[in-house]
Amino acid sequence: MPELVLKADGLTKSYRTEAGSLTVLDQVSFEVQAGEALSIIGPSGSGKTTLLGLCAGLDVPTSGTLSLMGFKLNNMSEDDRAYIRNRFVGFVFQNFQLLQTLTALENVMVPLELRGERQALPLAKKWLDRVGLAERMNHYPSQLSGGEQQRVALARAFMTAPRILFADEPTGNLDGENAENITERLFQINREEKTTLVLVTHNLELAQKTDRILRMKGGRIIEESRTTRA
Amino acid sequence: MIEYQIKIKRERKNIFQDGWVWRMAWRDGRHNFSRLFLFVASLITGIAALVSIGSLNYSLQDELNRNAKELLGADLVVNSNKKIDTAFYQLLDSNASALAQDAEMASMVMFMNSRQSRLVKLTAWQGDFPFYGQLVTAPADAYQRMQSGEYAMLDETLATQYEISSDDSLKIGNRMFKVAGVVRKIPGGGQLTSTLAPAVYISLRSLDSTGLVQFGSRVAYSVYVKNESEKETNALVAKLNPIIGKYGYSYETVAARREGLGEGFQSVYRFFSLLAFVALLLGCVGVASSVHIYAREKREEVAVLRCMGSTGWQAFTIYFIQILFLGCVGSVLGAAIGMALQQLIPVVFGDYLPVQVTFAVSWRALLEGVVLGVVVSVLFTLLPLVNVRFVPPLAVLRSDSVLTKRFSKTRAVAMGLIVLFPIVAAAYQTQSAVAGLLFGIAIALALGGLVAIASLLLWLVRQFFPVHARFVFRHALSNLFRPNNQTTVLLVTIGLGAFIIATLNITQSSLLNQVEFTGTENQSNTILFDIQTPQRDGVVALMNEQGLPVNQVVPIVTCRLLEIKGKSIEAIQKDTAKIPDWALTREYRVTYRDSLHLSEKLIKGQLQRVERSVNDSIFVTISEGMHETLNVQVGDSLVFDIQGVPLKAHISGIRQVDWPKDPPNFIFVFPTGVLENAPQIWVAATRIEEDVQAATFQQRLVMGFPNVSLIDLRLILATVQELFDKVAMVVRFLAFFSIVTGLVVLAGAVLNSRFARMKENALLRTLGARTRQIALITLIEYCYLGFFAALTGILFAVGAGWLLCRFFFEVAFAVAVGELAYIAVGVLTMTVLIGWLNSRKVIRTPPLQVLRKEG
Ligand SMILES: Nc1ncnc2c1ncn2[C@@H]1O[C@H](COP(=O)(O)OP(=O)(O)OP(=O)(O)O)[C@@H](O)[C@H]1O
Ligand SMILES: [Mg+2]
Repeated sequence: MPELVLKADGLTKSYRTEAGSLTVLDQVSFEVQAGEALSIIGPSGSGKTTLLGLCAGLDVPTSGTLSLMGFKLNNMSEDDRAYIRNRFVGFVFQNFQLLQTLTALENVMVPLELRGERQALPLAKKWLDRVGLAERMNHYPSQLSGGEQQRVALARAFMTAPRILFADEPTGNLDGENAENITERLFQINREEKTTLVLVTHNLELAQKTDRILRMKGGRIIEESRTTRA
Repeated sequence: MIEYQIKIKRERKNIFQDGWVWRMAWRDGRHNFSRLFLFVASLITGIAALVSIGSLNYSLQDELNRNAKELLGADLVVNSNKKIDTAFYQLLDSNASALAQDAEMASMVMFMNSRQSRLVKLTAWQGDFPFYGQLVTAPADAYQRMQSGEYAMLDETLATQYEISSDDSLKIGNRMFKVAGVVRKIPGGGQLTSTLAPAVYISLRSLDSTGLVQFGSRVAYSVYVKNESEKETNALVAKLNPIIGKYGYSYETVAARREGLGEGFQSVYRFFSLLAFVALLLGCVGVASSVHIYAREKREEVAVLRCMGSTGWQAFTIYFIQILFLGCVGSVLGAAIGMALQQLIPVVFGDYLPVQVTFAVSWRALLEGVVLGVVVSVLFTLLPLVNVRFVPPLAVLRSDSVLTKRFSKTRAVAMGLIVLFPIVAAAYQTQSAVAGLLFGIAIALALGGLVAIASLLLWLVRQFFPVHARFVFRHALSNLFRPNNQTTVLLVTIGLGAFIIATLNITQSSLLNQVEFTGTENQSNTILFDIQTPQRDGVVALMNEQGLPVNQVVPIVTCRLLEIKGKSIEAIQKDTAKIPDWALTREYRVTYRDSLHLSEKLIKGQLQRVERSVNDSIFVTISEGMHETLNVQVGDSLVFDIQGVPLKAHISGIRQVDWPKDPPNFIFVFPTGVLENAPQIWVAATRIEEDVQAATFQQRLVMGFPNVSLIDLRLILATVQELFDKVAMVVRFLAFFSIVTGLVVLAGAVLNSRFARMKENALLRTLGARTRQIALITLIEYCYLGFFAALTGILFAVGAGWLLCRFFFEVAFAVAVGELAYIAVGVLTMTVLIGWLNSRKVIRTPPLQVLRKEG
């Protein structure tokens, strides 16, 4: 029986606004198996990013439960959730989110160093090499192109050998060629490392490359389908 | 599915075990330190102000201790206002290894080269004074020549002022003296007295031949004692204590002189150090506001770090380490700069310091500065930086995510410490808990008042700004309300500087207004005293002849109190401590007349009079205030000792006296018909407008009546003004510190809002704004800012100045509107200049560059 990595049960998120309570996610339930690649698509404002944030433990739901690697995230403290993220989770964001004051190499080292590991340096070099940036490792983000920055982010995400990788429109800020390059690498590494992948995208073509697609609208999952790849 | 319910056991590391935060602090900081320039600059200005004042104080106290004996010039000095009794002198002589004497009195002296004359402190010397310290004369043998009796020496300031050279001569009293030389330096507590009353020195032997010592002349006699050891001095003091009161003499030891000078300086120091402290507090505002900006900028980075699993504390620690490091650097730099600045203070104040301060590094002041700097940087960093802990990781997805927690224990503790800080630090500075508390309250009131006025101004301008004003004016105004623009902080910091300067200006003009007696029509500005009764008509005739108004010719009789309300002075001294000793034992100079002087108003009872019918029938009036000091009322009885004759009198009324108005004025006024035959001298008052007229009159006076002295109040006023100006200079200097701090905050705020401004300008340009318009908007914005800051400070200063004048100095409130306008213009100009200099780049940047950077 395949291992369950992520389980969302009746996730609801509402925000209090001046105009009253706004329900952004409404009773969302789904599961993700180990090694699976899942994509979430839907129109703008449908709650994709919100859902991703909850799944990764960046935020807490208003109601419903969420377990990640078997850990119930609901009643954990923020710092405990940070620990879970560091152990099991990797991130790739639309706007790269590299630390501007650190070099590419130092950026990649951060997650492992946070654990207190001393072996971060060789591993970081290896990963930068793997994304094809061995030559640029002492450059600062401001000296790299968007595509190169996203490759650094990719290397950083895989540094801790995460069990699950969350990616929010990883190619949203890149042009066609660069986007292609990143997607290719993402899926390739994902396959090789057997990482579970949760991908949020607008791009249907990209979504087709995953095993399963969740289509969202108005804070609900309105359709769940297997792709031909699966 | 198996669900783990295990509690996570995270390893908790403290800051020293967690090498990662140190590495991150370095990596993040190495190219980034310029971002904290504002922080360091604020710290440096504050610490420099404090250290410069503190270090001067310590050096001075040190010097006072080291040169204590030189301050007195002897081991012991006996003072008297009568000639020293021969038996007493012999007692001193047999208990000392050497003695010297002097007699001091006020006298006119005429400089024969120019025939000008002025009042000086005439000092007649005998013996080898000083025993300690140095008497520096030019030429070196001037003192020996003077002792021969034919020569006089004079203070260098006097010689310079009247262009006296060594072959000139002086007329003192009835005698001519040749000039032996000038006195450059003399032990005994500084050049201050010499500035207020420059001295001429002759030998004691020749004093009698001047004919100056007459009845009523006030002469101060001193005997200087040198001992071989402190033990001998103590033994002498023990012998003197039981008998000295009988003679009516007093004595002063080295320790007493040092304490007196030290205390005098200490209170001045306290005042200045509190001002310096205000500059430091402004530095704290700079520190807090720069860290606030820094923490805001770092929010995104923190979110990323938290995403990857760092704890809130770890993120906080990274930036805290950076700031702590810069705090140490800034404190050391500030302390060093303060040390350098300290060297400037004696240059300005040299004349007024009791000892010459040589350059010395005061390690204590340095250490205090550094410690205080580090404490300040930690304390004022804590509050704004603690927010970093509560940056949600969600911020990586949505940059507008709000902080997860509004209250934290750390924040509450930091807040408490910040409130305590000024109180504790001021208490330490002044060595007094009460002073600290008062200072804390004053600071709170001042800052609260400034914030209130600034907010009110901003609110008013928002409400009432003309809607139809030109676009640039409206847009510049709306820029003031840009989020994160720190407009209120700027108004308060720059306004505080303006406030200090304006308050100083207001008190100064109010105080000087009070002593500005020369300004008012017909008030006396020249006082003639020590006129003997036979000389009176002659002096009046001279005044008439010179066409000078005779405003007053009043007799003066000196007397003491023997009894109050039937109780002897000795008895009163013993029972309650209610009446101060000085009031009981002092010599009163009284006059007699039957009318009120123009400076007087009867507020209670009746005028002084003699009632012929009753037995003891003399009624005198007393000045307001003094009746409270002596605790007497209308109808109470007093017994005066008039030159050895007891005289009983009753109080008939209380006069309100406007003391500076048309002097001399008196505490007690007797009726006519009582004191006419008592020994007395006369004082005359007149008004002289022209310097030439003054010179001729003084010349004629000195020739005809050599023993009569003349005080030119204009001269004293000028000296007071000069002293005030120097004090004001230091206050301005320190106020300037606070304005500089405000401008540093401004520069930082401009730099930090640079990107927001660039974006906005790019937008304006795409909408068709020209560079000129954008520049204009920026200029107008800083004009508003400077104007409101100056207005905030000055409005508050007018309020505070009024309170100070009304309740503290008790003088009429006077505002020099023109000078305040200068202050406002100065503040405005500096603000615009700093704002403009820092904005040029923003204005010049082409819009495309900005838009590209945004992506
Ligand atoms: N803090 C918040 N307060 C109020 N409303 C919020 C908040 N965060 C998100 N929302 C709302 O929740 C809804 C879903 O937002 P979300 O960012 O998840 O959409 P999305 O599907 O990721 O859209 P996009 O494709 O544009 O990225 C939006 O309507 C948004 O306005
Ligand atoms: Mg989204």
